[in-house]
Amino acid sequence: MSSAKEKKYAKRMRNQPSSVSLTPDIGDRPGQHGARGNVPPHRDSHPGSSGQHQRFSGQSRGGGRSGPGDAHLVPKYLTATMFAQARAAEINAMVKAVSVKTSNCLVFQSLPRHMRRRAMGHDIKRLPRRLREIAKKELEKSLQQKKEQSKAKCRKARRRHGNLLLEFNQRQRKNKWMETHIWHTKRFHVVKKWGYCLPDRPTMKCYRACYRAMTNHCLLEDLSYLCCLEMIGEEHNLLRSLSRLCSTDTGPSFAAVLCLSGRRQGSLVMYKADRYPEEALGPVTFIWKPKNLPEVPSGERQLWIWMHPAMKQDVLKELRQVCLCEETPDNAVCKPEPALASQQEEQRDVTKSATRKRKRRDQDGEKAVPVKKIVGDGTRDTVDPYKWTSKDGLITITDLTLEIVRYRLVGPLSHCVLADALRAAPLHELPSETGGCSSSVTELSAATWAKAVLGKQTIEDPGSGPHSWWKDFCRNPDNVNLHHQQESIFQLLQGLNSPAQVPPGTILGFTVGDPRLNLPRKRTKSTPNLENYEDGNKVRTLRMDGVPAECAQSLIWSCDIRTKATDEKISEQEINRLRSELLVPGSQLSLGDKESKIPVLLIQQPGKVTGTEHPGWASGWDICLPKGWGMAFWIPFVYQGARVGGLQQDLQRSQFMGSPYIPGDFPDSPAGAQSAKDTEMCLLNKYKRRPPAKRTNFIKHGILAPFRCPWEQLTMEWMARARTSTRSPAHTEGSTDQGDTKEPESEVAEAMQVVPSFKAETCLPLTSEGEQNTCTEVGKCEDLFSVVRDKKILWQLSECCSQSLRMSRGSRSSTPTSHDLASLFNPALRRLPRSLVWVRLSMLTKGSPELHALISIPTDQDLSQISKQKNFPGPQEPKHGDAFKKKILKLKKERKKEKAKKKESRVGEEGAVKPIPKEEVLQKDDLTFGLWPEPLPELTTHCDRVLIGFVTQGNFSLTAGCGEALGFVSLTGLTHMLSRQPTERKGLVLVRNPSSFQHRFARLFIDV
Amino acid sequence: MAEQLLPPERPRHRRRPAPRPPRTPNDIYVNTKTDFQAQLCRCRRLLEDGNQKELRVHGLGLAIGRAINLALQLQASGPGPLLISANTSTVELTDDLEPEGGEDMEPGARNRNNSAIHIRVYRPQTE
Repeated sequence: MSSAKEKKYAKRMRNQPSSVSLTPDIGDRPGQHGARGNVPPHRDSHPGSSGQHQRFSGQSRGGGRSGPGDAHLVPKYLTATMFAQARAAEINAMVKAVSVKTSNCLVFQSLPRHMRRRAMGHDIKRLPRRLREIAKKELEKSLQQKKEQSKAKCRKARRRHGNLLLEFNQRQRKNKWMETHIWHTKRFHVVKKWGYCLPDRPTMKCYRACYRAMTNHCLLEDLSYLCCLEMIGEEHNLLRSLSRLCSTDTGPSFAAVLCLSGRRQGSLVMYKADRYPEEALGPVTFIWKPKNLPEVPSGERQLWIWMHPAMKQDVLKELRQVCLCEETPDNAVCKPEPALASQQEEQRDVTKSATRKRKRRDQDGEKAVPVKKIVGDGTRDTVDPYKWTSKDGLITITDLTLEIVRYRLVGPLSHCVLADALRAAPLHELPSETGGCSSSVTELSAATWAKAVLGKQTIEDPGSGPHSWWKDFCRNPDNVNLHHQQESIFQLLQGLNSPAQVPPGTILGFTVGDPRLNLPRKRTKSTPNLENYEDGNKVRTLRMDGVPAECAQSLIWSCDIRTKATDEKISEQEINRLRSELLVPGSQLSLGDKESKIPVLLIQQPGKVTGTEHPGWASGWDICLPKGWGMAFWIPFVYQGARVGGLQQDLQRSQFMGSPYIPGDFPDSPAGAQSAKDTEMCLLNKYKRRPPAKRTNFIKHGILAPFRCPWEQLTMEWMARARTSTRSPAHTEGSTDQGDTKEPESEVAEAMQVVPSFKAETCLPLTSEGEQNTCTEVGKCEDLFSVVRDKKILWQLSECCSQSLRMSRGSRSSTPTSHDLASLFNPALRRLPRSLVWVRLSMLTKGSPELHALISIPTDQDLSQISKQKNFPGPQEPKHGDAFKKKILKLKKERKKEKAKKKESRVGEEGAVKPIPKEEVLQKDDLTFGLWPEPLPELTTHCDRVLIGFVTQGNFSLTAGCGEALGFVSLTGLTHMLSRQPTERKGLVLVRNPSSFQHRFARLFIDV
Repeated sequence: MAEQLLPPERPRHRRRPAPRPPRTPNDIYVNTKTDFQAQLCRCRRLLEDGNQKELRVHGLGLAIGRAINLALQLQASGPGPLLISANTSTVELTDDLEPEGGEDMEPGARNRNNSAIHIRVYRPQTE
């Protein structure tokens, strides 16, 4: 028996009667007094065995074992009293053992299963009578404990609607909730990020299912956490100030014609003012409000800029600086009126008071407490929109975060889901007398439009009911026409098999009816209707020209109408009540003019636009709604068969699309740097939680920074390498020019170059700092690394990388030699010596790259080997020595000694030797087993192969069917590699995961 | 020098996916990327186990040859007699043109045509 088992056994037998002793101790011999005194609890020799009976049983049981030797132990006669006493003692011991509870559990838990009853812990009477005493004691004990942490209100009170909302508001003080938050918490793992509670991934397994939904069906995501900034001002003023934040080199900017007309959504990467190639802020998308609305007095335009919350503060600061804005305290202009809304609600309540007396009383009770009036569905606080005006008063910036709900539908069936879930808003029947005086009517409606544009309060109409804005809108026949046109285009969308068929970024404005009214009774899967595919000509024009400019108009642009739409929402409860009052249960509810109308904006997302494969993958539609309507649209979409995804699906999509993930893949922006830090902390903590013997020793793997990508150092080193090579260009350039035969020589030269630089750097104690100092002296542009986003450079690079593919396809195009390549990129390199390029890697054979994998240059031997042997897996990295292991062990020993000393000193004199161990603690923090301590040695040459970059997203790609990685490489390193590789092997790199020694071949693509 | 070596500057374009009606289980869209044997296997499985009476094999542009090959292979290797009837059509494709240089230029789109083949592979009806 092992020691643990013994212990367990001993514990179990603690309260068992080990030996039952009979009080009067009597001699052994049965002949003298009849029974034995000490009764051993052993089975074979039963205590006080009774005469013949025992013998018989012994014989029958023991068989051969209890031979004739046992016979003399058996007593010949018994004394009844003694025998009874012995039994009594035994029974007593047994009873005691049964009655005393030994284990740590509650009484009712110790009962066998068949005797347990429901709620035993709550009601003592359900227990068997014998256990009640003990249970009573336990209950009292637990009650005492409970009393200490009792809550102020009973559960019923806490769950009452108003109190619940209060609690919700309190709980989202730090991290805001989206409107779908409660829905998500029941089905998703929720993470707190960027000041929001965001759904990360569904609790059920659905990685592949979500992928299928994106490719074949429809995936729904809540993107309400994206921040929207509104800018209002004259067009040229806006463009002038915004042009400082972006560059036309990276693609169309804010002034692109189609975007400016309001027909398309534009996207670009913002930079700090006038700092274009460096200091990016991050990617934004933007929408201009269409300008061809009638009778807008001034050239005032409205612009929405959507961005990720991680970079909102940076962008906002820059925008304010560019527009010369100061923060103005008046937030009242755009603020929804809580008082008014609450009054309206109260009135409504009064009208149907009789049945809902109790509830009303509750509400009155709440009114005593200063309740924040919740506009919308109440799952979140009202965020006061902040407003800034420029000094000259020409530009206003408003923060519309959480004012607009934004959902994204991805996949070819997103049309069908939208078309099935939404219906055009019914037009209001016009009274006959208004038909005559059309001119005045048009004036009136024009006035409302103008007001809507300016975002100012409308004068209350004399006959304003709940949906006065819609009534006004319907009075104008032009508007009615527009509404019909939008409706027909919306229907026409169903004639397309994929959202990618319409021009990228198309915008369609629309006004829809309440989607809760035509909710299907069960969750259904919307399928495309074949009949819609007949209308060939119209669909063709839609494909070619997109949505006409006037159809991009929507009433959602006006703050006023948004607020009204939010306020006039019929509550879920009310809808259910009306439904229950229907004559035929389950029939369609029609509210007539009382039905809510919601202005929405549909924005097409082009999906995958870079690269040649899978064009338009993951294309879909975004829908923007006024706040408060979130859940009312969410449930219909889900009921039409859309699958819901979270942040993980977002990452998955951006990975398969080959697009950079926001904000992680923008390392040159502050948001990207912050997110890199966060991931590093997270991974490092996870790593440190493992016991040292079970960790990957990254030092032995030759991985210097397994949890981050040291872009700073990488670009710095490549810049230094480029300098040394330009200082002695004759040798290397000459050798490469003459052809492939002399390649080994160049290798040697390269090695020779590397060695001195390495030595020099190791000699200097603070390499990076020293380098930075020199850089600042040389020029300001060399301070920071940047990411190349210049379209022209990227096109050229991508063509160079894909040469070998084109050659294999047989198309003969002129191929630039290595020398030309260098000359091609030299101007760019001189301008941006420390730049990174976004690349996609596709594994040639097997292997799935991981986060922070290394991208390195294959040597000529590797390339020749793979040309000989097709399934050559790639070279192996030799094991590196771990010089720090001994140090760590030494430190550990020292620390132990320290501790022992401290103990001694503490025993002797207290507080005498304290300042010394602090240094020790610092050192301890520096050294972690398996990780390089902070000043890293040279990155590029640390491993066998020369390093050019790192992977930032890597996984098995379900679209490509092989491992794919996305990452950055140094532009200098890339050109260096491309200029040395033979044409048929151009663009081959090696990828190595941080936890493996195996380099694997991958093809490098630059998708533009 | 660079301008000479690289292909002459022409308007960059991005292809949009080709329009097609929603597919039913017996619509096979042939591409040039998937392994030919795999495509053939898929068709055979549909015909034999899937109990489909007819398959429609579609090929667009470069994939026309493959589609024809696929249909013929099916006919040659199928267990029962199979009939083939082919149709051709023209598919209108759309490209998005990249705005080059100045942003005032309207990026626009262009239409181009490509030929397609639709082959019906079916079992002869038994009287």
